[in-house]
Amino acid sequence: MGKGSSKGKAARVRRSALAAVAAMALAGGCAIRDTGSAEVWDPLEVPNRFIFSINQAVDTIAIRPVSVLYRDWMPKPAQRSVHHAVENLGEPVTAINDAVQGNAHQAATSMARFLVNSTLGVAGLFDVASSFGLKKSDNDAGQTIGYYAGVEPENGGFYLVLPLIGPSNARDAVGLVADAAIDPFGLAIYNLSSSTAYWIYAGTRYGVTVLDTRVRTMTALDDLQRNSLDYYAALRSAYTQRRAEQIRQKKEKTDTRAELERRDNLALVR
Amino acid sequence: MPSFVHRRIMLRLAAGAAVMAVVMPGLAVGQAAADQDPAAQLIQQTAARVIELIKTRTGEAREAGIRQVLESDFDLDYMGRSALGVHWNQATPEQRKRFLKAAASAEAHAYAERFGRYGGQTLTVGRVTKRSNGVSIVDSKLNQSDGEPIAIQWEVRNTGQGPRIVDVKIEGVSMVMTRRSDFNSYIQNHDGKVEPLIDELEARAKR
Repeated sequence: MGKGSSKGKAARVRRSALAAVAAMALAGGCAIRDTGSAEVWDPLEVPNRFIFSINQAVDTIAIRPVSVLYRDWMPKPAQRSVHHAVENLGEPVTAINDAVQGNAHQAATSMARFLVNSTLGVAGLFDVASSFGLKKSDNDAGQTIGYYAGVEPENGGFYLVLPLIGPSNARDAVGLVADAAIDPFGLAIYNLSSSTAYWIYAGTRYGVTVLDTRVRTMTALDDLQRNSLDYYAALRSAYTQRRAEQIRQKKEKTDTRAELERRDNLALVR
Repeated sequence: MPSFVHRRIMLRLAAGAAVMAVVMPGLAVGQAAADQDPAAQLIQQTAARVIELIKTRTGEAREAGIRQVLESDFDLDYMGRSALGVHWNQATPEQRKRFLKAAASAEAHAYAERFGRYGGQTLTVGRVTKRSNGVSIVDSKLNQSDGEPIAIQWEVRNTGQGPRIVDVKIEGVSMVMTRRSDFNSYIQNHDGKVEPLIDELEARAKR
């Protein structure tokens, strides 16, 4: 009896070992796709590529030619002023995101930048605040979500290509909506005026932002397109890495600040 | 009482002095080390050579000169192999040779173009972080005339022939990782075979 049961047990162990190996082989089947660096999760690749190709077409036909004209014919100081004005409109939302991430100092700096540039800098056309030493923060709701999400910054959910906006992902798309919802200018115009006025404001601001951004990213994107075999994949990777870097910097800033605070506190304790 | 206080003050001063004695030389060494670190030196030398080339040569001569700098300061073979990722294992030795040749050529062309667009900005080499496997990360800033400085990180590896650059991260975007995603996607869209990739790279190298 003892022998029989031990044989049965051994057989069971062998079978479960086999099952474990089989399971690992199946899982290992996924490893065949592992390139040694985690690829961006893109379950919607087919619709994404479709929208990507439409974006590229619109870009080639409309946006890029206008951007090139703008870049070559608009005087550089005027281009800079347009850029500063657009950035200035975004400072309140940046300040809110700084605050939500717990970076009170940067939140105050961003608000100060907004006030200084809107007044002394003539409605944001001149970036006077930087010459006062007020550092600019590039912050948005997508980064805030990434800051608090308990995953590594590269993981932004599934990759998305948004029409006209371009590369994004689940996290950043939610961030875009959130930023639009809390935009003080938008809220003010929508509530004090009409929804038509809001859409005119949003459309104009977005249009100018697209132009400005297109000009500023033209060299980098051209480089990427020329030197890549699969521009869609290269852009997907570059976008994910860039966003991860931004979020990582926000997180590291906190760690540095926490460390400095700890040391300050230690110095107070005799 | 006064003697106690006196002793405590003296102890605290001594502790402070000890800390300073430890930290200050450390700071000085850190600075000197950064200046003498072979990785940081490599970056500074590369930047200096490229700037010299931009100033003195144009056109074909400039491209040839930049290619020379790339071949001596970058480890193009390592970068190519890194970009192929796990597909390296399924490539035959013949394919590997062809791939390395084509990838190195494409990479050199890309970097020559990027350096060629250099327009008098200054590169400030900063901190060097040493990792365990003989790799150093050199932080640097490319100062632009209009706008914020661009943060560039150089990954330098100790090969048999001295330190070589194996990756450039511009604002957190690694050139090698982007290339790896690019190649991986191309391979997967062509039945997981490496041959079409090599053919495409060779075709581009000929252009």
